[in-house]
Amino acid sequence: MESKGGGTEAHKYIWEGAIPLQIHLHESEITTLPAPPPAMILAPRIGYLPLLAQKVKPFFSNSLPPGVDTIWFEYNGLPLKWYIPTGVLFDLLCAEPERPWNLTVHFRGYPGNILTPCDSEDSVKWSFINSFKEAAYIINGNCKNVMNMSQSDQLELWRSIMDGDLDSYLRISSKLKFGILVDDFSIQLNISSPKSPESTQNADGTAPAKTGRIPVRLYVRTMNEDFDELEDAPVVESWDRISYINRPVQIHGDGKCFTLYDAVTKLLPEFFGEKLPPTDDVSKEEVEVEQRSSPEETNKSKTERSGEMLNEGIVSCSISDGAEIKLLRIQGIEPKMEIPFAWVVNNLMNPEYFLHICVYVKIQEPISI
Amino acid sequence: MAADSRKVIVHLRATGDAPILKQAKFKIAGTDKFIKVIDFLRRQLHRETLFVYVNSAFSPNPDELVIDLYNNFGFDGKLVVNYACSMAWG
Repeated sequence: MESKGGGTEAHKYIWEGAIPLQIHLHESEITTLPAPPPAMILAPRIGYLPLLAQKVKPFFSNSLPPGVDTIWFEYNGLPLKWYIPTGVLFDLLCAEPERPWNLTVHFRGYPGNILTPCDSEDSVKWSFINSFKEAAYIINGNCKNVMNMSQSDQLELWRSIMDGDLDSYLRISSKLKFGILVDDFSIQLNISSPKSPESTQNADGTAPAKTGRIPVRLYVRTMNEDFDELEDAPVVESWDRISYINRPVQIHGDGKCFTLYDAVTKLLPEFFGEKLPPTDDVSKEEVEVEQRSSPEETNKSKTERSGEMLNEGIVSCSISDGAEIKLLRIQGIEPKMEIPFAWVVNNLMNPEYFLHICVYVKIQEPISI
Repeated sequence: MAADSRKVIVHLRATGDAPILKQAKFKIAGTDKFIKVIDFLRRQLHRETLFVYVNSAFSPNPDELVIDLYNNFGFDGKLVVNYACSMAWG
């Protein structure tokens, strides 16, 4: 596998990945008889639903009532958040993958109380570029590399997403010099916090700052009902049922492989970690200590902690609280929890450098994150 | 959850020609979404269109939790939020 930060086989699969959609016009917007047939469209996984507008509109334009178009989609009555990549929406909302995925499209009556406004392609581009900057900030401690992109590069980057053009994307993104994680079972990664001034010095001179901070967007569905078949998973009726968590994962090398399981348990201390200290002060203190201590020390203490976690049940993926991962999906795959997290990051992250992870957690008592 | 009951201090800073608020620092529940900060600014400034950034760098998604933003991007015990009436950082 190539390791120059892209162009792996997995990248090609992800960029070519698409969800077959069967799109129905909502009955309230049908003004013709007979009703228009549904539109069959392939939606790129890394794309965003509003970008399908040009493809979808011609199927329904003759049936629409007069008015101004603002396109939005719903699935089982749930308005779909357009800033979430289409593949992630599918992984999250279809426990049992439904093909084609039956969506309802609306061109009127935008639910502004549930969805943030999306006026045009520019809204999606704005959201994408800002996610990209946010990811860069997590990785590098600033996002100068994205902010200093030329207008033409930024446009080309966006076009590459629109067109699913991996080569063009790699050409632009390689200029941004993101530190690349080396996928190695026993690599020693530099884990100093990007916030601390030493971090740049710790990087080995010429190479772009290596980082252990991985931008992750986590979508957690918790359920306390028991279900054996995925198709019996409850329908998501409201976005309140899904916790949207943005927490970076700190990869630390300790001679052992840092696995996907290690990452998930660190991401979700509510379910799988040590109990967090109950008061503000303690957790603040912890943060400060982490920043002050030298990388080696931090490394060591983290190692010990993760070691404990490992002992707590890597086989069953469950922990004393009764929380259990029913399903974990990234890019439509359900990866084994034992695989190295660095591989997951390098191969399965989205183009804006966020790794989107959908998790279904079964819990005894309903709790909110 | 223990971590969530935390309050976050948000430091609001005007950018460009945006009016300066009389009070610049606010406490907000970590469990709130960033949209709450945006809506608060809209009300204070009586403006629908507003560009809101973290650390003069990027606009977070309105659905992101304030506690996540604080943990990821806060420093000196606060989250710095810049606001502008026109696009400040593309």
